[in-house]
Amino acid sequence: MVNMTQDGVQETESKRVKVYVLEDNEWKDTGTGFCVGKISDVDGDGPAASVCEGKEGHLAAYLVVNDEGVPDKTLLWSKLEGNIEYQRQEETLIVWKDLSGQDIALSFEESTGCDALCDFIIQIQKTTESNISLIAVRSNDDGQGSVHEIITGPVNLPSNDPEQDDKSLMDALKILNENTAFEYLRTETMEFVLKNEYLLTLIHVFENAESKHALRELLLLSNIVKTLTLYNHRDVLEQMVDDDHIMGIVGILEYDTEFPFSKANHRDYLLQSGPHFKEVVPLKSDDIKNIIKKTYRLQFVKDVVLVRFLDDHSFNMISDVILDSQNCIIDFIQTEPFLEKVMALFEDDTELDTKRDGIRMLHQCVQITKNLEHAEKSRFFKALVRAGLFKIFDFAFGMETDSGIRILATDMVISIIEHDILLINTVQNEHLHQPNMLDQNQRQLLGPSSTLTQSAASSDISLLSILSQILVKDKNMGLKEQVVQALNTLLHPEGCLGADSDYNESGNMDIVMSLNDHRGNGSDSLMENLGFHMKEYFNNFYTQVAPVLFGPLIDDSYENADDDVLLIYLVKLISFIATEHNRRMSREFILENNILANISKLIASPHMLQLQLTAVRCLKGIACLNDEFYHRYMITMNLYQPIFDLLRKNLNEDNMVNSCLLDFFRTVSSQCLQAQELHSGESKNFIILNKHLVENFRNDLMAIDYVPFTQEMIRMYEADEEPYGLRIVEDKKTTTEKDAKRTFSEVSESLSTLADLKEGDVNLTFKRAMEKITAAPAHTSMEKDLLSNGS
Amino acid sequence: MKLDETITLLRQGKHVSEETVFVLCLRAQELLMNEANVTHVDTPVTICGDIHGQLHDLLTLFDKSGGVEHNKYIFLGDFVDRGFYSLESFLLLLCYKLRYPDRITMIRGNHETRQITKVYGFYDEIMRKYGNSNVWRYCCEVFDYLSLGAIINGRVFCVHGGLSPDVTTINQIRAIDRKQEVPHEGAMCDLLWSDPDEVNTWSLSPRGAGFLFGKNEVEQFLHTNDFELIARAHQLVMEGYKEMFDGGLVTVWSAPNYCYRCGNVAAVLRIEDTLDRNYMIFEAVPAQDDVGNAIIPTKKPQMDYFL
Repeated sequence: MVNMTQDGVQETESKRVKVYVLEDNEWKDTGTGFCVGKISDVDGDGPAASVCEGKEGHLAAYLVVNDEGVPDKTLLWSKLEGNIEYQRQEETLIVWKDLSGQDIALSFEESTGCDALCDFIIQIQKTTESNISLIAVRSNDDGQGSVHEIITGPVNLPSNDPEQDDKSLMDALKILNENTAFEYLRTETMEFVLKNEYLLTLIHVFENAESKHALRELLLLSNIVKTLTLYNHRDVLEQMVDDDHIMGIVGILEYDTEFPFSKANHRDYLLQSGPHFKEVVPLKSDDIKNIIKKTYRLQFVKDVVLVRFLDDHSFNMISDVILDSQNCIIDFIQTEPFLEKVMALFEDDTELDTKRDGIRMLHQCVQITKNLEHAEKSRFFKALVRAGLFKIFDFAFGMETDSGIRILATDMVISIIEHDILLINTVQNEHLHQPNMLDQNQRQLLGPSSTLTQSAASSDISLLSILSQILVKDKNMGLKEQVVQALNTLLHPEGCLGADSDYNESGNMDIVMSLNDHRGNGSDSLMENLGFHMKEYFNNFYTQVAPVLFGPLIDDSYENADDDVLLIYLVKLISFIATEHNRRMSREFILENNILANISKLIASPHMLQLQLTAVRCLKGIACLNDEFYHRYMITMNLYQPIFDLLRKNLNEDNMVNSCLLDFFRTVSSQCLQAQELHSGESKNFIILNKHLVENFRNDLMAIDYVPFTQEMIRMYEADEEPYGLRIVEDKKTTTEKDAKRTFSEVSESLSTLADLKEGDVNLTFKRAMEKITAAPAHTSMEKDLLSNGS
Repeated sequence: MKLDETITLLRQGKHVSEETVFVLCLRAQELLMNEANVTHVDTPVTICGDIHGQLHDLLTLFDKSGGVEHNKYIFLGDFVDRGFYSLESFLLLLCYKLRYPDRITMIRGNHETRQITKVYGFYDEIMRKYGNSNVWRYCCEVFDYLSLGAIINGRVFCVHGGLSPDVTTINQIRAIDRKQEVPHEGAMCDLLWSDPDEVNTWSLSPRGAGFLFGKNEVEQFLHTNDFELIARAHQLVMEGYKEMFDGGLVTVWSAPNYCYRCGNVAAVLRIEDTLDRNYMIFEAVPAQDDVGNAIIPTKKPQMDYFL
C-alpha cells in the first residue's frame, strides 16, 4: 500500500538494509531489516509507541527499518527534521547525525534501494522540511580525499526586495558567488531568478541607485549581473537581452569596479549613436525581428559590454546562442519569399541607395554563414544563386561605381567560391538541364540581358573574365587585392575537381553527386566527365581570359608606379599557374607569349623593389619546377642576367634583396649537388643551369664571400668540367672532405631543401593552401600563451 | 600622407582611412626591405616584448621609458592579436619607424602571420573597424617584410621565440628569403616559435611549432657567435621579465595585465653602452584619451545590421 500525503510525497517501497549506530567511535551493527520512507503522524520509537496526542493529524516523515526476522521489531524510527544533513557515501550508504546527536548509517543491499530513499529525502526537503539536506560524497578520482556535491538542501537566495541598500546587495553578491559552486545551487538560483523576475528587481534597484548616485550600490549591482552571467544559463542570458531588460542590464554594466571613476555609454550607443535595425525588405514576422535584435544585442554584450570579463565557458555559451539565432535567420531567409524580394530590388528602377543597402544586407548574411556548418552553408549559397545572385554581380560590377559596394560584392564571391568552387556553376547547370523546372521569374533572371547569366556550362568562365577585367582596370587597391584572392581560388585545379579527399569531404562530393544526377550519368564516368569540363574550363581560360588578364606582361607596356602593384599581382599569378596548372597548358601560354622574358625585364629599375624581387622569386620558382623546356628557354634567353645586375648593386648590402638572391643561389647549389649525387640523366637541368651561371657570372659569384654555397657552385662546375676519370676521384675526395667540414645545420639545411623539392611538384602548394583554408589554430596554445611563465 | 597627423589619430585610437593604411604599409615595406634579416643596432637601446594590441599600455611603455624622440627601441614582435587595438598598435610603430627610422626596430613575432591573425583577433578587429578585410591584407603584407632578429653591439641577440637547430651562425639566417608566410618548420619558423626550457637538448615543443631548447643550446650559441645574451619574448612572465641559464637568456614581456585579465606586470630591458641591463617594470594604467578622459578598453561594436 502506498501512502500519499497531501503534498504528493510518496512513501517508498521497502528496501533491504543494515542499520549501524556509532557508539564509542565504533559503528555498531544493530541488525538487518527493510527500510521505508514513511509519512506518519506517529512520533516515537516504534509503532507500539503512543500516538502524539497533542499533534494529532500532523504528518511527518520518517526513515523506518523493521527487522527482517521479526517484522514487528523496529530497528530504526528516525524523523527527517531540523537541519539534519544526510550524506550519501558512494553508492549504498546513507549517513547522518540526528538531532539528538546520534550518528546513524544505513547500508543498503543494492544501490537502487539507496536511490529510492535518497529520492524520498529529496522530496521531503522540497516539500515540508526545507532545512534538511542531502549531500553526495564520493572519493576523488585519484583515491585521495573526497568530492562533496549538494543533492538537495536549503538554498540561500538573494533578497528580491525592491528596496535594497549596499548591505543587502553585498549579501546578494556573496550568496550568488557561493551558489556557483554546486550544480544544485546553480539550478535553484537560476530558477529563482526566472520565477521571481529577479532581473527586474535589480533593474529597479539600479534605477534608484543611479538617481541618487550611490556609486557603491551601482558597482555592486554590476558585479551581481556579471556573476549571474557566469552561471551560463541560457534562459537567463536571453532574458537579459530582451526588450524589457536590455537597457537596464547594459545600464548596470556601464559601471565597472575596474574603472570606478568612469562609466561606459552602452545605453547611449544602443539608443542613439549605434547602428539601427534596417529593413531593406520589410519583415512581416515579429519573431524573426526579435531574433535578429537578440542576435545583435548578444553580440554587443559579448564583444563590448562583457568583453574583458567573460571566461571561456560563458564566451562559448553566448556564442552558441548567437549561432543558433543565426541559423534561424539563415533558415528564415530561405523559406520565406524574402530572397526573391531582395533580388527584385536589382531588377527595376529601385533607388540606388536601396540597391546598395541590399548588397550590404546580403553581404552580412554571407558573413553570418561563416560560422555555420558546411551543409547549411551550401544550402544557403545555392538558394542565393538560384534566386539570382548574378543579378547582383551584374549590378555591382556593371553599373555600380562605388568601390566599397564592389568590394562587398567581391567578398561575397570569394566566400562562395572558397566554400565550394563548383557551387555556382552547379546551380547554373540545374537551370540549364531542367528548364521545365524554371518558373517565369527564374527564366527572367537567366535572361539575355545579363552578360553573366548567358553562358552556364560548368566550363563557364564569365566570372573569371569579369574579375580579370576588374583586376586590370579598377584603380581601387583593396578591390584588386580581393580579386586576386578570388582568381587564385577560381584557378585552383584541385579545388575545381572537388574530389580530393582532404578537401571538404562532405561538401564537394555532395555537389559532384548532384551534378551527376542532373546529367544522368553513371558514377564511373563521373570523374571523366568532370575532367572533360575542367579541361574545357582551363582551355577557355587560356584562350579567352589569360590574354586579357596578363596583357600587361605580354605587351610590356606598363611603366608607371601605380601599375607596379598590378604587375606584382600578375607575376605572382604567373608563378601560381605555372606551378599548379597542367604543365603543358600553362607552359605553352607562358612561353608563347614571352612572359618570362618580360618578367625578367622587371628585375630592374625603375620598377619598385618589391616588384623586382617578386620577379626574381617567380623565375626561381619556375626553375625549381625542374622543367627542361623552361630551363632551356631561360638560359637561351639569358633571363638570369638581370638577377646579377641586381646582385652587383646589393653585393655587400645585408638587406632583403641580398637575402632573396642568396636564397636563389642556395637553391641552385643544393639542387645541383643533389643532381650530381644522383648521377641521374633526368635531372641535368640544375647542372646545366649551374654551368650557365658560373660560365657567365663567375666573378659575381666569386664576390659573394660570406656564404659557402656560391663557391660551392663554382666547385661543382669545375668538377663537372674535368676529364671523366679524374672527375670521379676528385669528386669523391671533395665530397668527403666537404662532408667532414659541413656542419650539422648545413647538412640538414640542404636536406630540408631536398625534401621540399621532392614534394615540390603540384601538390605541395596545394596542400599548403588547404592548410590555410582549414586554418587549424593548433600552433598557438591559448593556455600556453596565457599561463605559461616560461618555467 | 601626413605622418604626424596619422600618429596623433593612432595615439587616440581613432579611425585611419583605408587609403592611409595602404600608403603607410607601402612606405613601410620600402623601409623594411633595406633591413637585414638580422639587423644591427647600437646601444643604448630598449628591448620590448609582446604588445598584443594593448595600445594604451604601449603608450605607457613609451612614456615611462623616455619616448621615441630620444631613445632607440627594439620590439620583439607580437604586435597584434588578443588586445582590442592591434591595428593602432602596429600602425603606430610603423609610423614611428617611418618618422624616426633609426630609432625603431621591429622584429616579426609568431602572431604576425595571416593564419594566426585570422584566429586570434586581428582579422576580426579589422572586419569590425572597416567592414572588409583589405586593411588586414595590407598589414599582413608588411608582416612578411619584418626582420627576423637583431643584434645589439654584436653582443646581444634579439629574437621573438628562440633558437633553431638549423641556425648555428647568424649568416645562416642571412640566406633566408624572409618575404613569405611563416613556414611550419625550418629556421624561420623556429626563430619565431621556440621556447627555452629545462631540457638537455632540442625537444619537441608543445606548441606544435618550433623547439624547446635548454642551457646547452644557449651556451653553445652564445659561444659560437660571441654573444653574451639572447633577449626574447613570446611567453607571458608575471613579473615582466625572467632571466634563465645564468643570465644567458632573458624573456621580456611588455603587455601588462595581458588580455585585460592576467594581472601581470610588464617590463622593458634597456641595454646600456656598457651592456649593463636595466629592467623597467610597469603596470597597466587606466587608459586615457587626448584630453585625459578615461577610456574603457573594448572592441568596436559590429557595424550596421540589416534584414
